[in-house]
Amino acid sequence: MFAPDDTIVAVATPPGRGGLGVVRLSGPEAQTLATRLLDHREPLRARHATVSRIVDASTPAGNAIDQVVATSFPGPGSYTGDDVVEISAHGSPVLLERIVALACAGGARLAEPGEFTFRAYLNGRLDLVQAEAVADLVDAVTPLQARVAFDQLEGTVTQAIGAIDTDLFDLIARLEASLDFPNEGYHFVEPGTVAQGIGLLRDRVIGLLAGSTRGRLIREGCHVVILGKPNVGKSSVFNALIGSSRAIVTAVAGTTRDLVSDVIDLDGVAVTLVDSAGIRVTNDAVEAEGVARARQALAVASSVVVVLDRSAGLEEEDRSVLEATAGTSRVVALNKIDVASPSAWPREALDLPPETSVVEVSARTGQGLDMLRSAVRAGLVGEEVYRDTPTVGNQRHIGLLERASGALADAQRVTQDGATEEFVLADLQRARTAFEELTGARTPDDVVNHIFERFCIGK
Amino acid sequence: MSRRYDVIVVGAGHAGVEAAHAAARVGCTVGLCTLSRETVAHMPCNPAIGGTAKGHLVREIDALGGLMGEAIDATAMQFKLLNRSRGPAVWSPRAQADKRQYGRWMRARLEAEEHIGWIIGRVGAVRLEGGRVVGVELEDGRRYGCGAVVVTTGTFLNGVIHVGDEQRSAGRVGEPASKMLGESLKELGLVWGRLKTGTPPRLDRGSIDFSQFEEEPGDVPPVPFSFLTGLVDREQTPCHIVHTNDRVHELVRENKDRSPLYNGQISGIGPRYCPSLEDKVMRFPERDRHLVFLEPEGVDVPEIYVSGCSMCLPREVQEAVIHAMPGLGDARVLRPGYAVEYDFIQPTELRPTLETRKVAGLFLAGQINGTSGYEEAGGQGLVAGVNAARRVRGDGEWVLGRDEAYLGVMVDDLTARGCLEPYRMFTSRAEHRLLLRIDNADLRLTARGREIGLIGDGRWSEFLARRERFERNVAAVRAARAPGRGGSVELAQVLRRPGVTLAGLAAEGAVEVEAGRDGRAYELSSVETVVKYEGYLRRQTATVARGERDERRRIPQGFPYGKVPGLSREVVERLSGVGPATLGQAGRVPGVTPAAVAVLGSYVRRWGGRGMPAARD
Repeated sequence: MFAPDDTIVAVATPPGRGGLGVVRLSGPEAQTLATRLLDHREPLRARHATVSRIVDASTPAGNAIDQVVATSFPGPGSYTGDDVVEISAHGSPVLLERIVALACAGGARLAEPGEFTFRAYLNGRLDLVQAEAVADLVDAVTPLQARVAFDQLEGTVTQAIGAIDTDLFDLIARLEASLDFPNEGYHFVEPGTVAQGIGLLRDRVIGLLAGSTRGRLIREGCHVVILGKPNVGKSSVFNALIGSSRAIVTAVAGTTRDLVSDVIDLDGVAVTLVDSAGIRVTNDAVEAEGVARARQALAVASSVVVVLDRSAGLEEEDRSVLEATAGTSRVVALNKIDVASPSAWPREALDLPPETSVVEVSARTGQGLDMLRSAVRAGLVGEEVYRDTPTVGNQRHIGLLERASGALADAQRVTQDGATEEFVLADLQRARTAFEELTGARTPDDVVNHIFERFCIGK
Repeated sequence: MSRRYDVIVVGAGHAGVEAAHAAARVGCTVGLCTLSRETVAHMPCNPAIGGTAKGHLVREIDALGGLMGEAIDATAMQFKLLNRSRGPAVWSPRAQADKRQYGRWMRARLEAEEHIGWIIGRVGAVRLEGGRVVGVELEDGRRYGCGAVVVTTGTFLNGVIHVGDEQRSAGRVGEPASKMLGESLKELGLVWGRLKTGTPPRLDRGSIDFSQFEEEPGDVPPVPFSFLTGLVDREQTPCHIVHTNDRVHELVRENKDRSPLYNGQISGIGPRYCPSLEDKVMRFPERDRHLVFLEPEGVDVPEIYVSGCSMCLPREVQEAVIHAMPGLGDARVLRPGYAVEYDFIQPTELRPTLETRKVAGLFLAGQINGTSGYEEAGGQGLVAGVNAARRVRGDGEWVLGRDEAYLGVMVDDLTARGCLEPYRMFTSRAEHRLLLRIDNADLRLTARGREIGLIGDGRWSEFLARRERFERNVAAVRAARAPGRGGSVELAQVLRRPGVTLAGLAAEGAVEVEAGRDGRAYELSSVETVVKYEGYLRRQTATVARGERDERRRIPQGFPYGKVPGLSREVVERLSGVGPATLGQAGRVPGVTPAAVAVLGSYVRRWGGRGMPAARD
C-alpha cells in the first residue's frame, strides 16, 4: 500500500510532446512546494488560474525555465481530497520532467500509478466503483468505452445498485421490526408480499447483470476472428475492415500462415480483429501450424466472420467451416459479389438457421462493408446502448451482483417454504453485504433508525 | 479510620445489584452504597422483565451466575414467550414482575452474601490519587477506601422531573437527585450529555372496570428465565388491553403546549422505541388508536401500570385522558406520569470492561451510560462488577465478543458508537443473531463464567450434565435414520423440512432423546436448532471467523491516531474520541470507512501493538 500522508507529484498528461503538459501535486505540502517552484510570493488563490513562471533555483542565476498557469485546489474539496496544485506548462517532456524533478528536490515523491485516485478513494471523494471508472475512463480507446466509464464515474452504477439496496434495506428494516416489536398490533410488512418483494429486487439485480456481457465487451473489448477456407478473401475482408493493408494479400491460396490482428473501433466497441490461415488439410508444416492457431483463435473469439467466396462453388471445406462455427456468434460474409460468375449459388443453399446474419460484400469495392460492420457489432453488443441503463462491465461487479442475486434467490425460496423472518434476514443480509462490498462503503445506517421514521413503536 | 472494600458499588438498582454480586462472587469484598435498603432493585417504570432481546440479556446474565433470572422466576405474576411463532433464535421470555417482591428477593440475596457490606448514604465524590480511584466520599463526609468504584446511579445525575409546568429536582418519585456526584464526574473531564425518559400514570386497581377489556393471559406452562428454574407452578395474573381513541388524541392535541415535551421545557432526547403518548399522537397523526396495556405492579398492591401511556401533561389533563378510555371512566390516578431528564456519560468514554479510559479504577454501568431498561443495566452491572474485581486483583480484562453474547454486542455498541438516544437492546443489533439464542446462553457462557469464578459448584455440575445430554442428543439425532424413498434417509434431513419438529419426531418414536430435567424445554430446542438450521449456523460461524482477525488485533490504549498517515482529520478525531480496543471495533466507530480501517490495520500490525508509529522517513 502507498503511504498516503506525503506530497506526491507526477506529470498528469500523456508522455510525449504536446501543446500543454500538466504537472499535478497532491498532499499537505502541495501549496508550499508550488509557491517555492513558482516565481510567486503570495500563496496561490484557491481555484484561480494564476499566471506565473517556474524558477530553477539550481541554475546559478535562478533562471525561469517556463511560463505556466498554476491552479490551487485546497482540500478537502479537491480531486484527491488533499491540497492539490496543478501546473500547466508547455508540453515538452524535458521541461515537464524538470518541473517534477524540482518538486521532488523540494520534498515531493513521484506518485505511483493510480495514486491520485487512490487518495481520492481513501479520502472518500470517490467510492470504489467510481475509482475503478477513473481507470477505465483513462484507458478507454473508443468513445463508447469512455462514455460508459464516465457514466460509471458519474455514479450511474452506484446509483442503480444504491436504489436496489435502498429498497432491500427498507424490506430488511420492516422484517427486523416484526421480530423486535412483535406486540405492536400491526404488520410492518404484509405477510404474503415478502417473497414477491424479494423477487422484484432480484429481478432488478438480474436486469443489471443482463447487460453485463455487453458491458464486459465494451469495457474489455473482444476478439473477432475471420475464418474460411483458403483464398476466399479473408485477408481482403480484414484489410477492408481495418482500413489499411496489413495482411498480405495474394492470389495464392494459403498465403496467410500466422495470425494477423489489429484493433478496430467498431462503432465504440474495441474489436481485436484476427485474420487467420484458411482452415484446410495441408501437408505444409508452416501452414498446418497456421491452421492450428486459427482453431485456437476460434476458441477465444467472441464472434466469427465466416468468409465464403460467392463467385465460386460451395465446397466441402466451406461447409466444414460453417459446421465448426455453428455454436459461435457469427456473421457469414459472402465475398466477391463484384465478380460475375456463372457458378454463383443462392443463399438458401447454405441452409443456415434464420438467426445467422448473412451479408453480401465485396472487399475489393467496399460494397456491403458497412452492413458487415453493423452485423458484427449487433452480434456482439446487440442494439444501441441507452444511457439510462447503467452498463455493468467490471468482472468484480458482476461477481458481487451474482452473489447478491444468489442470496436473494435463497431468501425468496425459504420465504416460500414458510421460514420466519430471522432466516430470511440472514439471506437478505448476505445480499446487502455484496452491495456494500461493491461500492466499498459500509452503511452505518442502523436498521432500527430507519423503521422509526415510519412506524409508531412502543407501548 | 474509615472502612475499606476492594470494590465499592454506588447505587443498588439493577446494575448495582449485579455488579456487587458479581464482584463478590469473583472474590472481592464489596461495599454497596444505596440511599435505602427499601429501594434495592427498584422498578421505577414498567413492572416487567424481559421482552425481545432483553429476555436474551437476562438468560445471559443467568448463564453467568447473575441474579436477575432467578429473581424474576421467583416473583413473576405472568410469563410470556414472545415471538413464539418464529424460530428459536428470536424467542424471548418476558414476565410481569411483582415489584415489591422482586426488590425484596434481591435484597435478601445480597444480604446473605457475606462479602457484601452496606453503606447507607449518598456518595458525593469519587476520590482519586495519581489519576486512579482510591475511594469515595459521602455527602455527609464519611469516607471509604477501595481499589475500584462502579458507579450505577441511573437517572439520578442532575435528574429533573417534569409534570406539566411543575419541575422538581429529583431522581425518581420521592427520591432526591444526585448533584454533587454528577459535578464530581464532570470534573474528571468525562464527556456527558442529557437524555429524557418517561413513565405513565399509575391507576388504582379498585377503580377500574376490568370487564370492559380484552384479557391477556400468561403462557401455560410458563417459560422461566433461569437455567436453574424447573417447572413454575403458580397462578398467573392476566394483563388487559385497552385502546386510545379520538377523544384521547384530541385532549393531547388541545393540551400539547402544556406538555414539557412540546413547549421547550425539556431538551433531553427521549427513546424513539418507547414514545410518549404526546409523541405518538403528534408524530403519527394517521393512527386513530394506539395499544395500551394495563399491567398490575404486584399481587397485593393497588397500582396498575398503564403501559403505552407515558406522558408528562399536567395532572388534570392526564386524568381526563385516562377517563376518556372505556372502562377507565372512574379510574383513580394514584400517581401521574412524568418525564425525567438526566445526565449521562457518553459510553465512548469507556473501555470494553466499562472502566473509564481517563480514570483507572472508575467503572460505570447502567443508565448512567445512556442505556434504558433493567436488563441492559443488569448486564452492564455484571460486566463492570467482574472487571472492577479483576482490576483490584490484578487479573486481565474480561470481555465478551459480539459473536458470544448480546452482552458483548451491547458493550461494543456503547463503547464504539456512543448514545444519541437511550440505548435499548434489539435482536437486530446482533449480526450473529442465529448463534445467540436463549436456548444456548448457558452453552455459550457458563464455562466462560466458571473460568473467572462466577459459577458455583452446584450450577456447574448441573450445567455439565446438561451439556453432556445435549451432545448425546445431537449425536442421537444425527445418527438416526427414518424411512424414506427407496429405503431410509437421515433423520436430520426429515427434521430440516419446514414444519417438522424434534418433539414431534420423538413423539412418533423416530428417535429417542433425553428430556431436560423438570421439563426444561430449551434443551430439546438447542438440539433441534443445531441440526435443523445447521446450514444457517455454519454460514454465520464462517462470517464470525472471517472477522476474527480484526477482532483480535488489539489497538494499544492511547494509540496516536494523528500520526497514522492517511487518516483524515475527522477519522482521527472520532477514533481518538472512542479509543477502540480492537481493529474490528475501530471499523464500527461511526464515520470510519473501510479504507481507513485498512490503513490503520497496516500500521497497527506493523507496530504490533508494542510501539507507536514514528514519523515516516
